[in-house]
Amino acid sequence: MLLRRLITVSVLIVFIVLTSYTITALNVLGELPPRGLRPLALWFLNTSITPWLNYFSAMAPETVTAIVWDYRGLDTLFETAVFYFAIIASIALFRGIEEKRGGGYVGLSKIVRVVSRVLLPINIVVAASIAIHGTITPGGGFQAGSAMAVAPLILIIVFSRFFLKEKGLSKNLLIALRGAGLVGIGVASILALALGLLSGGYAFIFQNQPKEAAPTGLPPDVLGFPIAGTLFIFNVCEFIAVFAGFTIIFILLSIPEDVAREALHGEH
Amino acid sequence: MLEVFFTLFLMMLLSLISTIAVYLAITERNLLRAVLFSALQSMCYAFLYYILMAPDIVLVYVPVSVGLYPAAILFLIRKTKECE
Amino acid sequence: MASIDLYMFTFSIIVISMIVNLAISLYGVLVKPNIVKKIISLTILGDSANTFAILVGYRATYPVSPPVQLNVPPSPSDVSQLTGLSVDPLPQALVLTAIVIGLAVNLFLIFLAIQIYRLYGTLNMREIARVKGGQHE
Repeated sequence: MLLRRLITVSVLIVFIVLTSYTITALNVLGELPPRGLRPLALWFLNTSITPWLNYFSAMAPETVTAIVWDYRGLDTLFETAVFYFAIIASIALFRGIEEKRGGGYVGLSKIVRVVSRVLLPINIVVAASIAIHGTITPGGGFQAGSAMAVAPLILIIVFSRFFLKEKGLSKNLLIALRGAGLVGIGVASILALALGLLSGGYAFIFQNQPKEAAPTGLPPDVLGFPIAGTLFIFNVCEFIAVFAGFTIIFILLSIPEDVAREALHGEH
Repeated sequence: MLEVFFTLFLMMLLSLISTIAVYLAITERNLLRAVLFSALQSMCYAFLYYILMAPDIVLVYVPVSVGLYPAAILFLIRKTKECE
Repeated sequence: MASIDLYMFTFSIIVISMIVNLAISLYGVLVKPNIVKKIISLTILGDSANTFAILVGYRATYPVSPPVQLNVPPSPSDVSQLTGLSVDPLPQALVLTAIVIGLAVNLFLIFLAIQIYRLYGTLNMREIARVKGGQHE
């Protein structure tokens, strides 16, 4: 068995190296990593932060965040909706299961508990920093939400699965937090529209900076810190929503199977 | 020049190790070891994304594919008592 | 070998090994009968496809930089320096969306697998097909 695996792995590696050497020696594919940029990428890089182009720039130093939330904001809105529907479906599959705490001592040993108490605040602070600095360094809402989702996972494994509920983070509060994050995203997407209509002008949905036909917009920086209008609000709301969603998934997955089976057989 | 050679050699090594990890993950009968090989493949991919200058993707990929997917699949294996 | 040949050789190795990864994980999704193995293979398939998309945006200049502007507020020479050295930012944004959608689908599949185990008692697709096929009388 081990010999057969070794032979297969070495055949794979020899095949890969020989094929790529043949492609390089025959020079059939042209210039393989190119030296220039495509015109669309040139357009994005040239208008991402250029204060002298008044009606074209997105005023965000981080180009990928500007593309995700400003140039192609509707794609991200529907991606957030897909994630939301997956969590709703998972909650619906596991509905109606409650668990009372029995006696006894659960959780891992004291060394692991002390180390977790030191490491978890560091995790939360780093994730909040990734979310807030999403417009000037690589980062943003979804990156920070999934980095912070490791914290409740460690809490469930090291302490116990009743620890989160005793500290106040029950399932209903997390569902409400997730809804609040999504409402924040919805409000921020029509914020420029509301400001434009109130001042008697014209504005678009998902508008960030002033454009030529609609001169209302949101401020590009606050006290010298570049927040690029609605991008900061989007990042923080997405951070809260993603963190709450992942915590609901782990609370549902950690319920043991015999408790769930009892609750489900009571339904028949 | 030496730095360029070192970077390119590292890219080649990472993609070959990821192929070995994928082959071992798919043909392994024990499910716990298959999840561990899948996490090794994700680590190789995350390092490859960093060398290809995509820092946003690295920040998403490391918690999701090295932490959350193996944790969820380990919960699944434990709940369904699968050994194989 | 000149320098451009070494770039092309490395790129070809990465592309061919991603194709091999796609092929092996596609075999794992279609042929293996266990549902947990199918879910693991599906995650590897999605990740290999995303790596292809990121590979499209790479660029062979030296030194190459990510698409982040470091001097705020920038001058025109800063903008032209970024345009001369940075990689393509659009594939990275599209891959971010693709990772999130793949994550949502795979998490839902894990919950569905638990539900299948509760209803049928096994996670082997051949036995489920035999049990379910016998009820068409």
